[in-house]
Amino acid sequence: MSLSVHGLTKRFGGVVALDDATVEFVPGVINGLIGPNGSGKTTLFNIATGLIAADAGGVTFDGRRITGMPPYRIARAGIGRTFQVVRAFDRMTVLENVLVAERRTGLRELVRSAIRGSEVDRAMGWLHRVGLDHLADADAADISYGQKKLLELAAILMTDPALVMLDEPAGGVNPVMIERIGDLVVAAKRNGRTVLIVEHNMEMVMSLCDHVVVFDRGRAIASGTPDAIQSDERVLQAYLGV
Amino acid sequence: MTRSLFIQSVVFGILTGGVYALLASGLSLYFGVMRIVQIAHPSFLFLGAYLTYSLHNRFDIDPLLTMPITVPLFFVTGMVIQRFLLARLRDENAAMMSVLLTFAIAVVVEGGLSAVYTGSYRSIDVDYARRAFDWFGVRIPRDRVIGLVVAGTTLLVLFAVLRHSRYGRSLRATMQHRDAARLVGVDTDRVQAIGFGIGMSTAAVGGAVLSIITTFFPSGHWEWIAKLMAIIVVGGLGSVGGAAIAAFVLGITEAVVQSWLSPVWAGMVFYLFLFVTLVFRPQGFFGGRLAQRY
Amino acid sequence: MPSATDDSAMDTVTPPVGGPVGSPGGVAAKRRRQAWNYVAVLALVSALAAGPILVTNSYYRYAGVLMVMYMVMATSWNLVGGFTGYVSLGHAAFFGFGAYCTGIIASDSRSSVILALLATVGICLAVAAVIGVVALRVRGSSFVIVTIALVYMGSLLAQGLRSLTGGSRGLDVAGLYTFSTRAARHGAYIVTFAVLLGVVMFLWNFIDGTKFGMGLKAVREDEDRAQSLGVNTTAFKVVAFALSATFVGLAGGLYATWTGFIDPIFVFSVQISAQLVLMTLLGGMRSLWGPVLGAAIIVPSGEFFLVNLPEYHLVSMGVMLGTVVMLMPNGIIPTLRRLWDRRNPPAASIRELAGSVGALDTDDADVERRAGAPRAVRA
Repeated sequence: MSLSVHGLTKRFGGVVALDDATVEFVPGVINGLIGPNGSGKTTLFNIATGLIAADAGGVTFDGRRITGMPPYRIARAGIGRTFQVVRAFDRMTVLENVLVAERRTGLRELVRSAIRGSEVDRAMGWLHRVGLDHLADADAADISYGQKKLLELAAILMTDPALVMLDEPAGGVNPVMIERIGDLVVAAKRNGRTVLIVEHNMEMVMSLCDHVVVFDRGRAIASGTPDAIQSDERVLQAYLGV
Repeated sequence: MTRSLFIQSVVFGILTGGVYALLASGLSLYFGVMRIVQIAHPSFLFLGAYLTYSLHNRFDIDPLLTMPITVPLFFVTGMVIQRFLLARLRDENAAMMSVLLTFAIAVVVEGGLSAVYTGSYRSIDVDYARRAFDWFGVRIPRDRVIGLVVAGTTLLVLFAVLRHSRYGRSLRATMQHRDAARLVGVDTDRVQAIGFGIGMSTAAVGGAVLSIITTFFPSGHWEWIAKLMAIIVVGGLGSVGGAAIAAFVLGITEAVVQSWLSPVWAGMVFYLFLFVTLVFRPQGFFGGRLAQRY
Repeated sequence: MPSATDDSAMDTVTPPVGGPVGSPGGVAAKRRRQAWNYVAVLALVSALAAGPILVTNSYYRYAGVLMVMYMVMATSWNLVGGFTGYVSLGHAAFFGFGAYCTGIIASDSRSSVILALLATVGICLAVAAVIGVVALRVRGSSFVIVTIALVYMGSLLAQGLRSLTGGSRGLDVAGLYTFSTRAARHGAYIVTFAVLLGVVMFLWNFIDGTKFGMGLKAVREDEDRAQSLGVNTTAFKVVAFALSATFVGLAGGLYATWTGFIDPIFVFSVQISAQLVLMTLLGGMRSLWGPVLGAAIIVPSGEFFLVNLPEYHLVSMGVMLGTVVMLMPNGIIPTLRRLWDRRNPPAASIRELAGSVGALDTDDADVERRAGAPRAVRA
């Protein structure tokens, strides 16, 4: 359940997104990852979930090196992530969006009908949990942005992940929805999952997170409890700009 | 294979590579400007060849001198197609639909050519192109040299426009980031239309060249699109320079294999390179940053 | 690993307290529709197979064979196009490949032809899987390009390996049936292709309701996100591609035994691929019946053009494809379905419809309603 990053470097042309970054996230709690725009947070996410390759360094999860594994294998190893700009399978129903999620699947499960049985019940359970069960048959394209965020959460929870990575979950939604998402995050932690949130909403970070890591210019510059971070000189400098 | 035959083939390959490079760069331009694969490009190449043929036969104009007529005509046609057809495609599936639309255009062009000219093979025979130079025992066909010169000049002009002209800057900006270009005042709609027109003009030039160096028939464009596409993938989508390099490499390899084995295997060279590229480096060997998984 | 607290109710079969009972209305409706589809397919196949009883004209029967053959191929194409969204212009390569496989393996006896056809299925599966692994490494337009190249490779190989394939001169193939008249043979092939159509349509319909099918559709909607949800998209795509190519290959093999002769230029032509795309697009890419409908429209009209206005055959096909792409990219069936849904919303989901309309505008109200219910204590 522990996610560690060592010496991670990634360049896009002339831009150094990650500069020999080394971080140790704390298992079993809600980790926050904050930092000014362009500090490498989403790049870290993308490398950890296998969407892009690192130039140097690696990421390990539960002792296993996950850099270089194909994204679906990383997902099945127990990491679920949401995207900064919410993504959904538009031309499928809300229920189908959740049903797609896979845990360990053999040929029998694949071939057995997706629209019957325990899988549907589980999916409906998660939809109920996030408050979308009444929309199960609606096309994902027709629900609101905030509802899509909840849908994303339901889908990754369906994979029963040990680590939940949320990329700006509070972005673009109203305060009531933010509170709802916060509840779900806390519930996930209570169920033993590790959470890692990238966020700019400081209120959410400070109230939810147990452990915060601050990134600037591609590497970690500080880490600790929210209170410790708030009074850290280096953090203030990074945000106010120098 | 004898050494002289080898050199002969290499020279021949360079000459052909030049024509490939011209056409491939036109295709890269389309891709860069609009992120579409313009499947109809070779069909317009052949349309150009046929028009040159007709103008030459009807009015006794030298094939290369038909370009002042065909180039502007194709330029306008390109702009019209971009403005009224491609730009109208709904955004959600634009990439896929544009492939199918340009495919449809290619079929229509071929159908039109077939209806008007029938399927028989045509070619143009001009005096000054018929013979060959002799250079240290290597026979260099004149028509191919002319083709290379014309293609090379056009390519240089194209590069010059892209690099140094104001339009070229707007075009490159639009290619890299359309919205950002809009924000700084670039009229991206016009830029894209003109870019398409330029691409089509290269087809007109290529058509004139094609008409004197080889025989042509209406359905011949399919083979060209397959080869040009292979060149683009090997070179890297969106990289005009990469396409040019790949064009020469593949042209030379094709020519050498042709003398060594047979024309059939020479054709396979393109597809072998294509599949090797896909397996080991799907984004292309000299690929620019645009070369993602388009 | 997640420990047992109140959320562990998620992992059991029984739905949580206070939630909906059983599966939503839409699921039941879908299951019913699927069952009806199987029945309808059987009806279609029977109708087609009975066709030769009513139609005795040799030419019409010939057109009938073509039509049913294209129905088979378009439906197989749709296994990839409709589910994964990958547009292949290269299925003609498998058509030709299957034709040559059968033609080369079969000798003169009927049993050898049957054996050849079976072998063709196996060979196509294997070859298509290998090609699929390579070709599916790219997406979108690049994928289209690669598939076009496949057709050309096929054409070159067929002409190059002269000792095996007869080169550009073509290859003679033994027939599957030994009827005396051509009309009788056409009739037999109509029935054969109709049966094959039934098989493909059953397969398509079956996949549509499985988790496999759902994974494929997720690839179509957002391939990266599908991967991040644990779907092995590569394996899924390759399987769909291999199945799709194999049915087209088998159709090619049957075609070869029907005509008795293979012309490499004809079987390896991009136009055959284009027709499959046109038919499926016209009928509707994401439906079971789209390709069949499209083939039923395109093949007869194509024949009409070939007979009456042969010079304009290509132009007409190109114009049709262009028109469909510009004006009706979703195809006939989805357009009809939307018109139907607008006039009669299905009764079972009126509750969902009302609920969703409400929630779309006031998701705050929804969250507050749930907030009123007993909430878990925040840690």
